[in-house]
Amino acid sequence: MEAGILITYTLLFVSLYFEVFLLVSFLEKRSQRRMIGAAERNEATLPSVAVVVPCFNEEKSVAGTLRSLLALRYPAEKFEILVVDDGSHDATYFVAREFESNAPAAPAVRVFRKENGGKHTAMNLALANTKAELIGCLDADSIVEADALMRIARVFDDAQVAAVTPGIHVRKPQTLLQHMQKVEYRLSIFNRFMLAALGSAFITPGPFSVFRAGVVRELGGWRHGHSTEDMEMALRIQKAGHLIANAPGAVVHTTAPRTFRTLFRQRTRWTYGFLRNAFDYRYMLANRQYGNLGLIVMPLALISVGTGIYFFIRTLFFGAISLAKEFARIQSTGIFPEPHFGLFYVNTSALWFLVVAAVAMVLILICLGSLIGTGRRRPPLGTPLFLLFYSFLAPLWLSAALVRAILRTGVNWR
Amino acid sequence: MEEPIVSTRTARWSSYAIAFVITALIFATAFYASTYFSNRRIADIRATQDEISTDILSLETQFDLLEEHSCADIAENTILPSALSSLGSQLSYMESQRSTNLAELTRLKSLYSLLEIKDYLLMKQVAGKCNLKPVFILYFYSNKGDCTTACENQGYVLTSLSETYPQLRIYSFDYNLNVSALQTLISINDVEATPPAGGLPALVINNKTYYGLKTTADIEKILPQLATLQKSATSTSATSTKKK
Repeated sequence: MEAGILITYTLLFVSLYFEVFLLVSFLEKRSQRRMIGAAERNEATLPSVAVVVPCFNEEKSVAGTLRSLLALRYPAEKFEILVVDDGSHDATYFVAREFESNAPAAPAVRVFRKENGGKHTAMNLALANTKAELIGCLDADSIVEADALMRIARVFDDAQVAAVTPGIHVRKPQTLLQHMQKVEYRLSIFNRFMLAALGSAFITPGPFSVFRAGVVRELGGWRHGHSTEDMEMALRIQKAGHLIANAPGAVVHTTAPRTFRTLFRQRTRWTYGFLRNAFDYRYMLANRQYGNLGLIVMPLALISVGTGIYFFIRTLFFGAISLAKEFARIQSTGIFPEPHFGLFYVNTSALWFLVVAAVAMVLILICLGSLIGTGRRRPPLGTPLFLLFYSFLAPLWLSAALVRAILRTGVNWR
Repeated sequence: MEEPIVSTRTARWSSYAIAFVITALIFATAFYASTYFSNRRIADIRATQDEISTDILSLETQFDLLEEHSCADIAENTILPSALSSLGSQLSYMESQRSTNLAELTRLKSLYSLLEIKDYLLMKQVAGKCNLKPVFILYFYSNKGDCTTACENQGYVLTSLSETYPQLRIYSFDYNLNVSALQTLISINDVEATPPAGGLPALVINNKTYYGLKTTADIEKILPQLATLQKSATSTSATSTKKK
């Protein structure tokens, strides 16, 4: 067997293994889960919460974000909103100030303004200015559903839990790319839920992750984290031995990039941050001390980056060779190739069956993501598009991020 | 919607093992299914070859009875050309699949070559007795890597030609196949596989051997009789002489 085929089968095995592992774990955990009390909580026992909205040039979206926060079902005296304008050049600060002055009976809204220093500095400013027990973050391009905070707060009853992530959905998808991302986010709902259930979450995403403020202070606050402070903080929490839980019922709607250019930049940053942080925390890899995170989740997440790039390059390489051959043949013979029809010519290679199996497994996980996130198994309408095309898009930013990570170029937020 | 599951991050080795076993089973199923369908194809080819053998035997018997029957009873357009070319196309496809059992494929190809030679000889005899003028092309190729592009292209040209002229009888042979009848045919026609005396692909047309890739225009120039053959109304059938 040639080396290329051997590598292909090995990577397919690893990818399929991870999908199967998550599915098996899901079924196991579901049968033995320790439910967080769903009963209504006495308001007096609820922890105080500060939600930080770090902003940079968000004059158009910050109002919607703040309105959704003000609509949260949570005792007003235990809830405050801290808007941190991180050196915006537009009217973000003034838009936010209107909420500060117009909300007397609602939760306190405080607005801070500082020189631009990055999201982690905005979070740290808010951390220094609040006495709340929990501190959350909500990016200014996201809105929350009314009971989201209540669902998250009760997970903190478990003293081991240092952070809780929400169920993130794409907000009003319009373009084809946004519809594909909606499917991807459903898959992420499943992954995030399962990684948390395995004690292996390594991201506390910007849209409405909530932290135990005392733990964050103990850990020294947020760091730059290669422009992915949410990943760096999660890894630091894991290192310290705390748990990161996921509450998929705490629904957050976030605005997904509309164009390929913005999506590419966003994903390049995410992947770059993952690769650099994984390198910084490389001692976790294959380390039993970190359980599933060190033994399987981080190693396979790293391998998946290489797998995506490998399959993309291999498909492109052989596709280009095949096209060049067809072109040369047409040139020399003047005859256009005719495809074979009939059952006899249907591709029944083992590789093809395995690719179909892997895609089917992804479809199952998307359906489970829908079940976990919405209560219905039906996958989003954009699922066929996602399954057909996304694997050809993702390697573009995976490759760009890998090159940047190797060269340590750094990435910009926008 | 699911409620949060909070648990420690301790690895459960049983989950790892179960996932490994399931993944291995999926792999095993994929390989088994692939082998199963490959065997089914080989069985199809074998069945087609059996049918062709029967047809040839039938034709031979008809030929023996010629003295008692008119030539009109032996149609020049037997089912054989399309059946043979279809078989050639299927064998060619099987050869392109990595999963195919090579030994079995070689055996099928040998049998296919013999059937082609028998059909060729029989049609020559029928032509002589019945005063028919069938047009034959013998095509020799190699799969050893010494004729990859040229042989593939020649295969396309001949396939296209056979679609255009359904009455044209094209017989394709793997030059390196160890079949004594085939080697005799090669020897009779003085086909040389290597330059300077020869070089594959090679075409034997009207008892003359032509080396190197020949385009449709080249062949039409070599074979003016083609003009006398009826052209196909539609050329959509997936016939092939070999090697696509």
